[in-house]
Amino acid sequence: MALEICWLDDLAKGQETARKINKPIFLDFFNPK
Amino acid sequence: MGAVTYPNEKVAKFVSLNFVPVKIETSNTAMMQRFSVSWTPTLLVLDAEGREHYRGVGFFAPEDLIPTLMTAKGRWALDTDQFAEARALLEEVISLHPDMETAAEALFFLGVAKYKMSHDPKNLREAYDELTAKFPTSSWTKQADHYRLISK
Repeated sequence: MALEICWLDDLAKGQETARKINKPIFLDFFNPK
Repeated sequence: MGAVTYPNEKVAKFVSLNFVPVKIETSNTAMMQRFSVSWTPTLLVLDAEGREHYRGVGFFAPEDLIPTLMTAKGRWALDTDQFAEARALLEEVISLHPDMETAAEALFFLGVAKYKMSHDPKNLREAYDELTAKFPTSSWTKQADHYRLISK
């Protein structure tokens, strides 16, 4: 099975994770239409 | 991006290993306003406090996104005082993608990272000399122009 990016949809959760693992956040704004 | 770049296995592996990936829909106007986003795709690299360290607008092909994000991570490391990591990341961009425009950006910030580690301004002059030789027309070379005043 191909590796897929496991996106979070909540920046606050992303910040919490980033703080714990010392990694930057990659934030993508997208238009689903 | 969602149709071509993100499904690419190398991109997925790189992003998953190096970042906390977060996707926000454009219908989230509060977030759009918070980060002054008016067009998509807009890609940001943030630190854990939500501060922006890199912004890219428009489409990135898989082969462009990886070195661009590597440079962006180098800038994040530099801005958060992780100078050794910044240096390693930026040197990797220059080594693996020497002909890409992002290598000029990496060269610029590598000079800064080395200077931050050594406090020796010659590191900035060396960055200017290398930029002039390798990327004479790059905006990063112009932005490093004042370093030519530093003696060798």
